[in-house]
Amino acid sequence: MNEEHISSAFDRDLETVQALIMKMGGLVEESILNAAISLEKRDEELAEQVRRGDRIIDELELRIDEETARIIALRAPTAVDLRVILTVMKMASNLERIGDYAKNMAKRTTVLSQLTQIDGSAAALRRMARETERMLRDALDAYIQRDAALAREVMERDTDVDQMYNALFREFLTFMMEDPRNITPCMHLHFIAKNIERMGDHVTNICEQIIYLVTGDLPDEIRQKKDRTSVDPDASPEFLS
Amino acid sequence: MYDAPNLAESQVTQDNIKISARNVQVFYADTHAIKDVDVDILDKTVTAFIGPSGCGKSTFLRCINRMNDTIDICKVQGDIMLDGQDIYDKRVDPVQLRAKVGMVFQKPNPFPKSIYDNVAYGPRIHGLARTKADLDEIVEKSLRRAALWNEAKDRLDQPGTGLSGGQQQRLCIARAVATAPEVLLMDEPCSALDPIATAQVEELIDELRQEFSVVIVTHSMQQAARVSQKTAFFHLGHLVEYGETGQIFTNPEDERTESYITGRIG
Repeated sequence: MNEEHISSAFDRDLETVQALIMKMGGLVEESILNAAISLEKRDEELAEQVRRGDRIIDELELRIDEETARIIALRAPTAVDLRVILTVMKMASNLERIGDYAKNMAKRTTVLSQLTQIDGSAAALRRMARETERMLRDALDAYIQRDAALAREVMERDTDVDQMYNALFREFLTFMMEDPRNITPCMHLHFIAKNIERMGDHVTNICEQIIYLVTGDLPDEIRQKKDRTSVDPDASPEFLS
Repeated sequence: MYDAPNLAESQVTQDNIKISARNVQVFYADTHAIKDVDVDILDKTVTAFIGPSGCGKSTFLRCINRMNDTIDICKVQGDIMLDGQDIYDKRVDPVQLRAKVGMVFQKPNPFPKSIYDNVAYGPRIHGLARTKADLDEIVEKSLRRAALWNEAKDRLDQPGTGLSGGQQQRLCIARAVATAPEVLLMDEPCSALDPIATAQVEELIDELRQEFSVVIVTHSMQQAARVSQKTAFFHLGHLVEYGETGQIFTNPEDERTESYITGRIG
């Protein structure tokens, strides 16, 4: 459906929200990477930049909400146009959440730089963040190219992020059991890992929405939940492995 | 899964087929206006026909009560069954058929008679009322159904043509329902009305579907979306897509439907 509308103003409106959501997506990708780098390099200045940048992401979400509400009121979109508008709205709120998680990571970076370093954790978190950022980048590509297959593939990759999170969770537990002085930094690091894991879930939501945009139906296969740590109190490291 | 109620508009509660058309072809002299149309129209449901000008939606609508018989060069082929009976059968009297299948046109066209006589005309010629009291009752009931009673009850002897446009259209609807039809055909019934009168007619259509099968041709896609439970999209004489209205407007199957309803060149 690349044909143009008879009303060219409608096309311009749709292009405007499209440009806004891509701008927002780009900023969120950058935030994820910068938050991870600032953590690894203990770069408080970069962390501060991520925190400030979140305000722009929030403003973009508001702007997208306004523009989409306007298009619904004035143009009464139907069929694929309606699905584009609904998808953009949901993408915007998911991107805003991802941006919040990146900001939260940056806040903890400032605290963590005062604490003992936990070996290897920052690099592992950066790998996890990088994988999530790649998922997001591919999801945005899938949106632009209206590629449901790519969106499905990105959803599959969320399992990898979940596994990385589970591995880190076990690692942090081990560190904390070894030495109670590790508890404070490990708790912060664990929250960061959890934040990145949640980012992956939001990317998954975006992908579901893209599949709806392209096919008109939400994907019916519900991803297998492999993470038992949240439901099983006995899920100790030994139990999990 | 939480069992949430459906939106009222999305419910198609009926599966009784009222009108069944098979392999319908219509020719105006050499022009092939309707090509191979198959459709099942449900009872007690509003069905909207949409499509660009000249796509055949009005022509097809007019086949359902044999209005095309009045056009000499028009030839209809195929089967159109009303409750399983072929309406083009030689034994069917078109006048009787039109009492069962009423019609409301684009422009309000009241007879140059009183409001009362406009509504009483059909019941009189079809002998539906034996006494004056019977007729009074039919007139009042029809005007009430058309949501015109309160505005018209004190001026029943005044000419129908003296009413406002919206009132005239509701008078035409009252006239159409007075013969107790089973199907009501509406050919762009709101195109000459303002938004308030349009809303009143749409509300009326929704009430009428409790008793009749309503088929409406409309150029307003929003109107089709608002009033109908089923939508049929016509293009170049073909019935391109026929389905549940919500599905047609969120996720049409055919690209031509998509192009048309989203306002792209189709």
